[in-house]
Amino acid sequence: MIGQAFKKPEKWSVLRKNTVLEINSIGISSLSIVALLSLFMGAVMVIQTAANIDSPIIPAYTVGFATRESILLEFSSTMICLILAGKVGSNIASEIGTMRLTEQIDALEVMGVNSINHLVLPKIVAAIFIFPFLVLLSMGLGLIGGGLIGTQTGIITLEKYIMGLQYYFDPFSIWYSLIKTLFFAFFIATIPSYFGYYVNPSGGALEVGRSGTKSVVASSMAILILNLIITYFLLL
Amino acid sequence: MSIIVNNIHKGFSGTEIIKDISFEFEKGKTNLIIGQSGSGKSVLTKCIVGLYEVDSGEVIYGGENFSAMNKAERKKIRTQIGMLFQGSALFDSYSVEENVMFPLTMFSDMSKEEMLDRVNFCLKRVELENKNHLYPSELSGGMQKRVAIARAIALNPNYLFCDEPNSGLDPKTSIVIDNLIYDLTKEYDITTVIITHDMNSVMEIGENIMYIHEGENWWTGDKHSIVTTDNKEISEFVYASEFMKQLRGKLS
Repeated sequence: MIGQAFKKPEKWSVLRKNTVLEINSIGISSLSIVALLSLFMGAVMVIQTAANIDSPIIPAYTVGFATRESILLEFSSTMICLILAGKVGSNIASEIGTMRLTEQIDALEVMGVNSINHLVLPKIVAAIFIFPFLVLLSMGLGLIGGGLIGTQTGIITLEKYIMGLQYYFDPFSIWYSLIKTLFFAFFIATIPSYFGYYVNPSGGALEVGRSGTKSVVASSMAILILNLIITYFLLL
Repeated sequence: MSIIVNNIHKGFSGTEIIKDISFEFEKGKTNLIIGQSGSGKSVLTKCIVGLYEVDSGEVIYGGENFSAMNKAERKKIRTQIGMLFQGSALFDSYSVEENVMFPLTMFSDMSKEEMLDRVNFCLKRVELENKNHLYPSELSGGMQKRVAIARAIALNPNYLFCDEPNSGLDPKTSIVIDNLIYDLTKEYDITTVIITHDMNSVMEIGENIMYIHEGENWWTGDKHSIVTTDNKEISEFVYASEFMKQLRGKLS
C-alpha cells in the first residue's frame, strides 16, 4: 500500500487541494482537544510535582523544571499523538472503510484513478505537516496551564516557575519531540488507512466499526514501540 | 467498439463463481446481463472492468486484450469507461457539480470554464439543471442515479457499465433511468452493459441479453425471444410470480 501511496499523483493540483482539506479535517479540527488536554495536563503536572516535593532542600523551581521536562519530552509528543491516534485514526479508518463499502473506491479504480494514492497520500502529507504544529502548541499550552495553576493556587511564584522552565534547558528536547512526532504522524495516517481500505465490504457497517477499533489499537501499539526505539537512539 | 469476453473463469477461495463465459457486448446496443441473485452477474462485470483479475480467459475492448495489459495500459481503456454503481457511489463530501467534474479534473486538460460547461451539459442531459451545489445526501435515490450517470458520461466514454441501475427505485423512476441509459447508448453510439434482475428493464431496453445461471452463460437473445423461450430456467425467471404465470397461460 505504501508503494502505491507514494506513486506520482495524477494531478498535483488535486493532491494540493486534498491535502489542504485533510489538514483542516485531521489537524485544525483537533486544535480544541489538543489545547484543552494540554492546559489541564500541564496544570495537573504542576500540582502533582509540587505535592510530591516536600523536602526543604529541593528548590521550588524544580516544579517548573519537572513540568517542562515531562511536557517537552513525553506528554506533548507521545500522549498527544496517542490521543490523535484515537480521534484521527478512527476517523480515517471509518471514512475510507465506508468508501469501500459504498463502492466509492471501486468507482475511483474504474475511472483509472490510483485510489490509494488519491485517498491516502494527502492524509500522510497533511499529518506530517500539521502534527508538529499541534505538538508545539501543546508544549506551549501545557507550560502555560502549569504556570497558571501554580501561580493562582500559590504553589509557586511566577519567577520561580519561569526559572524552573529555563533551568538547564536543552533545545534538543524540542527537536527530539518533533522527530518523534513525524514518525507518529506517518503511522497515524497510514495504519488506519490500511484498515479502512482493506475492510471486508460484505461485513457491512459492523466491519467498518471493527476496522476503526483495530486501527486505533494498532496505531497506539506502533506509537508506543516507536517511542521506545526513537528514545533509545536519540537520548542514549 | 464492442467488448468481447472469451472463456472467462473466476473463483474465490477454491469456489468457481464464473465458469467459462464467452459473450460479445455489441456497440450501440444495450447489452443486459441478467440472472438470479448470486448467479455471478456482479463478479462477471467486475472482471470485465478489471476490478477483479480473471483466473483465465480474456476481455477484449475494441480489439485490445484488456486482460493482458499492465496497469498503465489499462488506464487508457479505463478513461473510456463510465460506470454507474448499484448504490450510485457518489463521493459524499463532494457536491453534485464536483462529483460530475471529478473525472474531468483528473483526466482532461480543460480549463475550469470548459469543465463547468461540460458539467452543466451533462446535468442538463440527465435533467438535473441547477442542482450543482446540492450534496448526495440531499438527493433522492433516482436523482443520485442520474448524477452518477452524468459523472459516467462526463468524459464521453465508449463503454458504459450499469450495475443494477434500478435497485431501490420505484417502477416509474426505474423506467426513467432505463430510458435515459437507452437514449445515451443510441445518442453516443456506445457499448452499454447493464446488470439487472428487473424484468421491467429487460422488457424496456433488452437488446442483447445474456442469462447467467450459477456462473454459466445459459442463454442469449433479446427481449422478444426471452418471453417465448422454452428454456425452463429462463421461463421461471421471467414468469416468477403467480400473476405472470397466469398471464402467460392466458396469452398462450
